[in-house]
Amino acid sequence: MSRGLLSGLLAATIACACAPATAQVPGADQVQAVTLANGMQVIVWPDRDIPNIALFNWVHVGSRNEVPGITGLAHFFEHMMFNGTATRPQGDFDRVLEANGARNNAFTTSDVTVYQDWLPRAALATVFEVEADRLRNLAFEPKVIESERGVVYSERRLRVEDSLVGRLQEQVQATAYLAHPYGIPTIGWPSDIQSWRIEDLRSFFATNYAPNNCTLVLVGDVEPKSAIALAKQYFESIPAHAPPEAIRTKEPAQEGERRVNIEAEAQSPLLQFAYHSLSGADPRQPALELLTRILTDGDASRLHRVLVEEQKLAISADSYIDRGFDPGLAWFLLTLPAGADTQKAEAVFDREVERLRDGGVTAQELTRARSQALADFWRGLATIDGKAQALGSYAVLQGGYQRLFDAPRSYESVTADDIRKLAAELLRPGNRTVGVLTAKAAAGQGESR
Amino acid sequence: MKCVRAALLFVCFTVFTTGVLAAGNGVKVPPFERVQLGNGAVVLLMERHDVPLIAFSAVVRGGAVSDPAGESGMASLLVGLLEKGSGTRDAVAFAETVASVGGQLETSASTESIAVSGSFLARDQQLMVELLADMLQRPRLELAQFDTLRARQIEFIRAAKESDLAALTPIYGEASLFTAHPYGRPVDGSEASLAAIKHAELQRYYEEQVGADRLILAVAGDFKTAQLKQRISRAFSGWRKASAPLPQVPKAQAVASRRVLLIDAPESVQSYFWAGNVAVAKNDPRRAALDVANTLFGGRFTSMLNSELRIRTGLSYSAGSHFDRLLQPGHWALTSFTQTETTIQALDLALATLDKLHESGLDPGALDSGKSYVQGQFPLALETSAQWASQLATLEFYGLSRSYIDDYSAALAGVSAADAKHVIDEVFPSSSQLAIVVVGNAGALRDGLRKYGPVTEMKLADPSFAPVRAE
Repeated sequence: MSRGLLSGLLAATIACACAPATAQVPGADQVQAVTLANGMQVIVWPDRDIPNIALFNWVHVGSRNEVPGITGLAHFFEHMMFNGTATRPQGDFDRVLEANGARNNAFTTSDVTVYQDWLPRAALATVFEVEADRLRNLAFEPKVIESERGVVYSERRLRVEDSLVGRLQEQVQATAYLAHPYGIPTIGWPSDIQSWRIEDLRSFFATNYAPNNCTLVLVGDVEPKSAIALAKQYFESIPAHAPPEAIRTKEPAQEGERRVNIEAEAQSPLLQFAYHSLSGADPRQPALELLTRILTDGDASRLHRVLVEEQKLAISADSYIDRGFDPGLAWFLLTLPAGADTQKAEAVFDREVERLRDGGVTAQELTRARSQALADFWRGLATIDGKAQALGSYAVLQGGYQRLFDAPRSYESVTADDIRKLAAELLRPGNRTVGVLTAKAAAGQGESR
Repeated sequence: MKCVRAALLFVCFTVFTTGVLAAGNGVKVPPFERVQLGNGAVVLLMERHDVPLIAFSAVVRGGAVSDPAGESGMASLLVGLLEKGSGTRDAVAFAETVASVGGQLETSASTESIAVSGSFLARDQQLMVELLADMLQRPRLELAQFDTLRARQIEFIRAAKESDLAALTPIYGEASLFTAHPYGRPVDGSEASLAAIKHAELQRYYEEQVGADRLILAVAGDFKTAQLKQRISRAFSGWRKASAPLPQVPKAQAVASRRVLLIDAPESVQSYFWAGNVAVAKNDPRRAALDVANTLFGGRFTSMLNSELRIRTGLSYSAGSHFDRLLQPGHWALTSFTQTETTIQALDLALATLDKLHESGLDPGALDSGKSYVQGQFPLALETSAQWASQLATLEFYGLSRSYIDDYSAALAGVSAADAKHVIDEVFPSSSQLAIVVVGNAGALRDGLRKYGPVTEMKLADPSFAPVRAE
């Protein structure tokens, strides 16, 4: 599903740097941030539990910066960043990192492209060298582009074409936006994947891969001073250039519910609800998070209890909140048992949302959601990887890295009234797109069952 | 869809959590205490006071190998039911109690064990022990919860068949390789085997196969050992033993030739394949050399397999290989996927790459790079209290000493080209001795696959993960 890596990473960090309730985040006072002369932002957070470092480069570009014809290019570009520079052949970046004990990965969203390295501390200078090289000297080899096009198409087949959840979600997202580029699927539309040209890549790189469009985050066994010195040594001489054009389009207010119906060779029906919601930096984000936790976090949550446990109309009920530069979507995703009645499940979902809108939440529910949010916040900060993810996300998308350290307090200050107001504002039928995936009638069903 | 290289990341994580255990420079097992209770339960306690949290991993020997014949998924279903009501709390009260203190509890099953793991704030230590003791010793195992969970588990399999074929392919692979051997059982069951499980049998299974003598409870975090030891002893000393013996698993037979299982997924636009054979056990003394060789063959981005199938040819988003090391020799397998039209090309290339490993071996530069990589990444698996709890439980489960972690760095450094060649010759299967599984459009694949050996077919819609045998 979309944002899989992000939520997966958070979920995977099990142990936690917990402090009771709203205590200060340990080590927060040691964070150092500078802006290099070329506009590149560098943030360093020392953490010496293990002799390793997480180095993430957050480039402020995603599918939000695309237009018809080049959809999927930000993501394709992410692949191309591993495929050779003027000074290093294809594959050298990975070979150098791995030979020095480092692993890397990357992900693209609607808003950002993030390059991640996990390295032993001894490899830091080497990693800086090759990271700076690809930002300065990226090369475009026609043969490599064609091969990588195949890789990306294989990824699309895996995540969208061979996944009913992915297929429905792509359609719902595209339908939810009439004007804003958040409607573009990050993986790209098939015809665009097939037709990107080398000149598209060149102009995309020139426009978006400016050092002044990057936020470099380092967390781990490193002195801030020496990390900043290395950043200056390797990155500062890369010239700044004009940042990409601001995205001017604002999504007009939705004027009535939209629906997407897919009929597929399927047994398990799917229901998805996407409500227009908040930007990542909106101060009401903590309230929205608690609201969605009350509906779907854990066996005690409202939707899980009613839809999954009591009425057995769904086998899972999940939610996801976009936290981007512009107002994104709040998603609710239901998987239904084979042959289930989607209308009935939708009616129960609607009733629960209405109950929240009209009646708000109980004090007990609010307390519980707060405890869950706080504990998960601390668990997310248990690893250098989780810290680099959180620090970068707050720095780039959620109003500044300092807000990360206010998160515990911000959960505490959410009131039941905040949640009720937010539900009344956002969770209206006229503000949502509903996706329904059902089994194709009759044909092809006879044989196996 | 927004995360790139995530599939490979998954492959790497798989390798590193089930296979590679290399100690990075300077990372040693911190002090811990081992206590065995009178009823056989083993308790492992490691104090870590950096943050006010306690993490635990409670592992019960048994797992899928103790599932009754034809009822795969019994252990998995049972462990899932442990959090659906126990002691004085019904399922709702239990969930509310955990959530209200921000606790985290996860239940899971694997081939040889079931586990409850989680973390709580240090101040909730007493509640944590109480909930865990209730789950293991006083689960309600109510009929209504049993029916609900069993039905849901069946539906999850159906849903995965429509949205996650890459995750299902290894289940077919293991069933095909191990056939009737217990290591071939689908841990979470199949639609058919889950449907065959009866409530009364599950209750009996709990009495027979779950008990104190099977328990390893590892705890790491912010506590005082003496106090927690006393608390755990009080809570667990009175627990009975499992009433039936732990099933002994024989060594599985490796396949001596090549065969193909084709699972027809007519709607799929891509083929997902798995090719493996029986390999090594957890305690195999050649571990360091095996880890380095597999890392270089299929355990990292620039591995031989991923270089061929992804980087050079663009046939796939991801290709990798891994070991599953258990008490007895488990499997080694390679996996990848590609569009239907290039399935044979990709399989040929994967097998040719395996041939190349055998014929040309690893060059010295690659060997050093592989050793550095394994060394450099390992500390990331030893960072948190939860990871340490899990590592301690693993050492105890397999009867390994702390040198398994402490001395691994030196073992890695000592891996020579000759060592690597030996393990490649002795452990990595030849391309002519493989159980191959392909999930994809059979109509388009059937004829092309015949050259690899006898082809057996089944349908994705079939309610089992194997064509004929009971699981």
